[in-house]
Amino acid sequence: MNAIEIRQLEKSYRVYQKNEGLWASVQSLFHRDYREVAALKPLDLDVAQGEFVAFLGPNGAGKTTTLKLLSGVISPSGGEARVLGHTPWLRENEYRRRFALVMGQKNQLWWDLPAQESFLLHQKIYRIPPDQFARTRDELCDLLEMQHLLGRPVRELSLGERMKMELTAALLHSPEVLFLDEPTIGLDVIAQHNIQKFLKHYQQERKITVLLTSHYMKDVAALCRRVVIIARGQLVYDGSLEGIIDRFSGHKVLSLLFANGRMPGDLSRYGEVLEIVEPKARLRVARSEIARVLSAVLANHTLEDISVEDPPLEEVIAEMFSLSAKEEVVASG
Amino acid sequence: MEGERIAECRLRSAELEAAISFRIPKSKFRICIMSRHPSYLGVFLTFARNSLVRDMTFRANFIIDTISSISWMIMNLGFYALVYRKTSHIADWDKYQFFVFISTTMFVNSLVQAFFMPNAEELSEQVRTGGLDFALLKPIDTQFLVSLRKVAWSSLGNFFVALILLAYSVPRIEGLDLTVWQVVLYPLYVLMGVFILYSIMIALAATSIWLGRNQSLYDFWFYITNFSRYPMEIYEGTWGTPLRQIFTFVIPILVVINVPARLMAKPLSTEYAWMAAFGLVATVGSVLASRWVFNRALKSYRSASS
Repeated sequence: MNAIEIRQLEKSYRVYQKNEGLWASVQSLFHRDYREVAALKPLDLDVAQGEFVAFLGPNGAGKTTTLKLLSGVISPSGGEARVLGHTPWLRENEYRRRFALVMGQKNQLWWDLPAQESFLLHQKIYRIPPDQFARTRDELCDLLEMQHLLGRPVRELSLGERMKMELTAALLHSPEVLFLDEPTIGLDVIAQHNIQKFLKHYQQERKITVLLTSHYMKDVAALCRRVVIIARGQLVYDGSLEGIIDRFSGHKVLSLLFANGRMPGDLSRYGEVLEIVEPKARLRVARSEIARVLSAVLANHTLEDISVEDPPLEEVIAEMFSLSAKEEVVASG
Repeated sequence: MEGERIAECRLRSAELEAAISFRIPKSKFRICIMSRHPSYLGVFLTFARNSLVRDMTFRANFIIDTISSISWMIMNLGFYALVYRKTSHIADWDKYQFFVFISTTMFVNSLVQAFFMPNAEELSEQVRTGGLDFALLKPIDTQFLVSLRKVAWSSLGNFFVALILLAYSVPRIEGLDLTVWQVVLYPLYVLMGVFILYSIMIALAATSIWLGRNQSLYDFWFYITNFSRYPMEIYEGTWGTPLRQIFTFVIPILVVINVPARLMAKPLSTEYAWMAAFGLVATVGSVLASRWVFNRALKSYRSASS
């Protein structure tokens, strides 16, 4: 069963075009030029119940817009979406008690008060029975190891601790669908890892549906089997994380360790030379050439070690993003 | 006998267990157990409590706020006391009647400033920064949530000053016999006044959803309170009469103080009886209008980039 169904969902904004200078500002009091900006071009997507899906894309690709549409914060310019059978932007209470949205860059807890006061407020708003509330809160606090921080004003918490509190606040009512917008942004490696560990455990335990946006490949690799990539408001990829490399990277990285420290002179005939630190060399070789190059290298040189690897995922995705940005320039130019 | 009792006990404990086991949440049942409607009173009380806790954290700020708002009202009062040394009536209000008018102003203002003003002000800010996102996620009426989030407890200081002033002035009004009706209706009409001002304020704040930014609220509040804090009879003549009509029937701010104040200080003037009836209409009308504006505005909410 699908928890999320998106059909031809789109969103465009009318943006006021501001020109430079004081005179232009004065003019703009009387006459303004507007421009339609498509934040999300017609998007189709299905997410099954219990899936953990990563949503990737460069800044401004439309990830956050999609999450905001699915949580009913904003209304679309066209198309349809159903989450758990509800149309999000109708903002029905029945829907709103079944999902949660966590945004890494915004916080919803009372800044000057300890987080537990905000939790109590959530209890009242969602009307969670007291015993259930206490149990869920303690469970989450144990998992996130933050029982001792409950009484401390939110403004005195570190970024990582605050994120844990935000997560707890969002999960108190046991949502069935969770939208996470860059939950690990700005966190150090340990805090990131803790949040990942928690999310993984929680999702597996509860079998909830999660849609995550992140710029950290580690988040994605640790948590999601399925990855959806959008760029310029359009879907460019939907599949497994490994599939991205198969599909978007046409080359592999060949690492060679020459025996007896004997480096041959010309390596560029095998492929693009990435790095040479004697007696090691790294070459970039087209995927279709790899078998031929390997046998040639082995025939011509004595090697101590050899390995063939996929290029790092970050690199592939960065390449893909910059490619789509170039296309955009071409398209608009 | 003994056996029966034991059996009964067993039965009871079985019932109890059943009841308990039913309450153990299995994710499917959780939704059914949770009540569908949020507890509005519970939420409001939590807001009030959290605001108090926060105010107490910044104790000095709280005390300064209270003192400064009370002193401002007392200075105001002193000014009118001076005026009444030179004249016996303003419009046809004598000194103690006018003091009732002033206490009514203080009641309404302190309530609006305590419960609604900080929230209306913050709404504009939340629209600009995208903080409204979180309010829209909650399974509770958004207007309620946005309007009552914070309580400025320090503004309630004036409420108690007003109580003292009212208790001092009413017995000193010549020829006034307090009736039960007055005692019952006065607070109701004060509340109606609060609702009218609230409606205007929240509708105005909601326009910031369209305008991107609307920080004229405090100025606006200043103009309104300046205008509504005098008896409506003073607005007379070529300019005064149309002004009075607009601010009675279109934007009913003159109703806010005038109706409850008159009800308490001059209950016998029957020509104003229609005003009391109109007060009710104006309140219902204002609240409905503000709700309409608020909901329309929310539909166009754009949020802010994260």
